[in-house]
Formats: sequence, C-alpha cells, structure tokens
Amino acid sequence: MTTSPAPLTGEPDRRPAIDVRGLGVRYSLRLTRKNTLRNSLANLVRRDGGGGHFWALRDVSFNVVHGESLGVIGPNGAGKSTLLQSLAGIIAPTEGEIAIRGRLSSLLTLGAGFDQELSGRENILLAGAFLGIDDGEIQRRLEDIIAFADIGQFIDAAIKTYSSGMRARLGFSIATSVDPDILLLDEVLATGDQVFRAKSKERVLELAKGAKAIVLVTHDMHWVTEFCNRAMLIEHGRVVAEGQPAEIVRLHEARSEEKRRSAQAPGG
Amino acid sequence: MLPFAAMSRPIPDLSVMRTTAVRPGPLGLLGVAASDVWSRRQLIRYLVSADLKKKGRDTLFGNVWWILDPLLQMAVYVVLVSIIFKRSEDDYALFIFAAILPWKWFSSAIGDAILSVSGQDKLIKQVQFPKLVLPVAAILAGIVQFAFGMIPLGALLVLLYPDRISVALFLIPVVAFVQLIFTLALGILAAALNVFFRDIGNLSRHALRLWFYLSPALYGAAVIDEIAGSHQYIAQAIKINPFYAILNGYRSVIYYGEAPDWLALGSVLGVSIAFLVVSLWFFKRVEPTFAKVL
Repeated sequence: MTTSPAPLTGEPDRRPAIDVRGLGVRYSLRLTRKNTLRNSLANLVRRDGGGGHFWALRDVSFNVVHGESLGVIGPNGAGKSTLLQSLAGIIAPTEGEIAIRGRLSSLLTLGAGFDQELSGRENILLAGAFLGIDDGEIQRRLEDIIAFADIGQFIDAAIKTYSSGMRARLGFSIATSVDPDILLLDEVLATGDQVFRAKSKERVLELAKGAKAIVLVTHDMHWVTEFCNRAMLIEHGRVVAEGQPAEIVRLHEARSEEKRRSAQAPGG
Repeated sequence: MLPFAAMSRPIPDLSVMRTTAVRPGPLGLLGVAASDVWSRRQLIRYLVSADLKKKGRDTLFGNVWWILDPLLQMAVYVVLVSIIFKRSEDDYALFIFAAILPWKWFSSAIGDAILSVSGQDKLIKQVQFPKLVLPVAAILAGIVQFAFGMIPLGALLVLLYPDRISVALFLIPVVAFVQLIFTLALGILAAALNVFFRDIGNLSRHALRLWFYLSPALYGAAVIDEIAGSHQYIAQAIKINPFYAILNGYRSVIYYGEAPDWLALGSVLGVSIAFLVVSLWFFKRVEPTFAKVL
C-alpha cells in the first residue's frame, strides 16, 4: 500500500523513483570521534558536549524519475557520499524525507561485505543475504554472477587469495545481478582491467536503458556528460545547481578553478 | 506493449520505501527488532555457518578443538584445584565440567557479540541491513559449539561416572534456554555499546574472568558459605548473579541427577526476558547512528 498522493500524470512510470524533500543529515562530532570512556567522561566533566554538530547535508530536495540518470558532482567533502548513503537507507535523515519507489541496489564500494575466509561462491550467497535478496533468487542467479565476474576456478577459493581486481569484479557482478529499478553508483566504474571496465560500462548502460533510475557520484566529468541526462552540483552539503550535465560540469569546473585561484592568490 | 511488461514484474509502486527523521516509539522498535531477525533468518543462518566454518579452519584438528578445548580446560582446573589447592568435591572432573561447558559458550558468545557490529564497519557503511542479525548470529553460533560439547560430556559420563547418568540429563536444553535468553540480552547490549565505547572489548575480558570466579563453577555451596562468613557482600553478589542459578541448574541435572531449582531458574528467565526487551530497545534506538559513528 502506498501512502503517497496520486500522480499528476496518471502514468505510474513518470512518478519519481527517488523523491527527496528537505533532506538534512547531521553528524554529531562528539560521536564520530573515536570514542573511549575516558573521552566521554572528560566531555561530561567539561560539560561542553565535546564540539557540537556538523551538517553533511542540508535542505537537499530533488527527484529522479524512472529512466533518468542523475550525476552528482562536487568537491571532496561536499556530502556526495553521504547523499548516496542516505538514499541507500544506510544513514537515516536527521530531517526531511526520502521516498524510494522500486527496488534499489547500491554499488558504493565493491566487495565491502566480503568475508576473507570464505570462498567466492559462499560470499555471493552471504552478500545476497546481506542485500536482502531472496535466497532462491540468488541461488538461481549464482551461475550468471559467477560467469559475469569471470574469475574461473578461483570461485571456490577463499576471497583472501583474490586480487583486488577480482574482488571488484565479483562485487560488481553481485550488485548488478539483482535487476534493480534504482541503481546507486559511487566511483566504482574505474575498477578492474580494461576488458572488465568495458564490460561493466556496458552493463551499467544496459541497466540504465531498462527504464531504471541511476544516481552516480563521480569525479570523472566524462561519465557525467556522457551517461547522465541530468546533473546536480553540491557544495558544503547544499545543492548549488541542477540541470543539463554539460552546463553543470562547466559550472563546477569554473567554480573549482576560481577557488584554486583565490587559494593561490596571496592574501586571498 | 505495457500490460505484459507490467504483469511480469512486481509493480514498483507497491514498494515505496520511506525514510524520515521520525523514529518509531519503544513498542514499534521492538516490533521492528522481531521482524528484523525473522525476515533475515536466512542471513543469520549463513552468518552462523560462516562463523563455524572459520572457527574450524586453519587448525590441524579443525572442529575437534570444540571437543578438546573444554576437556583440556577441565584438566587444568582439576590439577590446579584438586592437586595444588587440595580442595575438591567428589567426582570433581564432572563437577566442574558441568559448569565449564556452558561458561565457555557464554564467554565466547559475549566476546564474539561485542565485536560483531564494530568489526563489520565497512559493510555497515555500504549496505543497508538490520544490524541486529550480527550479534544474534554470533551468539547462536555458540550453541553449535555447546552442542558439540555434549560429546565429551557423554564420554565422561559413560567412561568414568556411569552411575551419575540419569534422566535429568534431558533437562539440559531447558537450562540452556534460560542461558540463551540471558546471553542474547547481554550480548546485544554489549555489541551496541562497543560501537560507541571500544573500551567494552578490553574491559569484558577481565570482567568475564572475574565473573567466572564469582560464579559457582569451580566450587559449590560449601565454599560460598565459607565466603559468607568473612565477606558477606561477595557471597551475596555470587548468589544474585544469574549464573549462580544457571550453573547450579546444569550441575543439578548433570552431576546430581535431579531436577533444577525451578524457582531460581524461572526468576532468572523472567529477569532475562525483561533485560532482553531493554537491550533490543536500546540496540534499535542507537542503530541508525552506527553508520555515522563507525
């Protein structure tokens, strides 16, 4: 059952796959610091709470409809990764609301959940269970995943014997095997060797074509202009601009160039 | 072209997932906790079997260690207490084995549970899943090791103490159930706390050791009475301790061949259930911050 209001167009596909309204994510600096009881006691004694808050994202609103791929760009520490983590449901919003319509898969960092001691095959089952994929489904897709990852007989060896390229390939293969409606990507496209890079690019394009929504976070402006049909620039946790990829990329480059120059100029 | 495509796939609209800044109340959190564990039972199963596989690997004897370990520990204490300190009970090996076996389950389950969440920091930052499965799986994995411990227990009874075999042995799972509830409660709480205070891990090793000596594992009622003469409060602490009732329960059914003290065991169960409710609430309450803190 959905609680959202009826769509204006009447055609379900045009309703936003991702609807973000007034999203804010606040980090408590007191908590994020590596804590020990000693620090906490010291903070209690000082009564200053140990340094307040910091908003990684604030007042972020946007939506992505099915078939759209949104590129998110911005300088380091702008809140891009926090945005993806919030969309994936990993970080809960401090304020605002996120509505996701459809099945979501995130490719944040590949192979994060791999258990070094287990074999590739065992890790596929485990990763599938972590991602919440039905066990029967992952069993059915097992052979496809193994075939796409293309790591040969290593699939039954422990992950700790894998090269980082093999690990990334397996991770990519698992994450894209689920046929998601919404795909979140974070700088993962440049993994593996040339051949696999081409293959993964193809898979991403294929997923994008299948009326799926994509949110891509990257520093590679080439990807944004080539594969996204919309782009968003965020700085200091706020949306600065949103629009045509080429335009947004130009704006981003102009702004970072300006920042570089003002940083170099003596006396600001 | 639309109808067939629409029929072959679940309509995306049915799965609107909303995340907001609004959190459910205490009862809602408990409901979520229950559904977390139930809906991800397959994941728990995989985690448990992965854990057991890993513990069996890399050693020459593999899982045989689950049988040897409690036996060797028993041997150490038999030498220490009955030969060096010269204070043992009749059939002392069985007397302490009945306590060492469940205690090993408890202490290793708590140790694993503490690290279960903080050790998965990478995964927690990358994938959304109910974190509750981690300590639950760590504690459940201990049950299998405990079950393996029944093999040396059986051997001990058959080979050395055949006259201690009784039908009361069938009550072991009842006592174990009480222990499981208490272990879940403490393990889940400790797992959540260790995310914020890494000291918990360091502290726990010493706390568990002290707890072991303050529980009637190596000694029985006579020693506690003796302690009560000189250190009244310590004797009281020993008796309030849930493991007083739990270890005595195991000892009743294994060593004495009689029914456990139902009232004592029942009270521990009641307190453990209340404790588990509080732990689950606390865990679910702080769970959203894990990805930020780790």
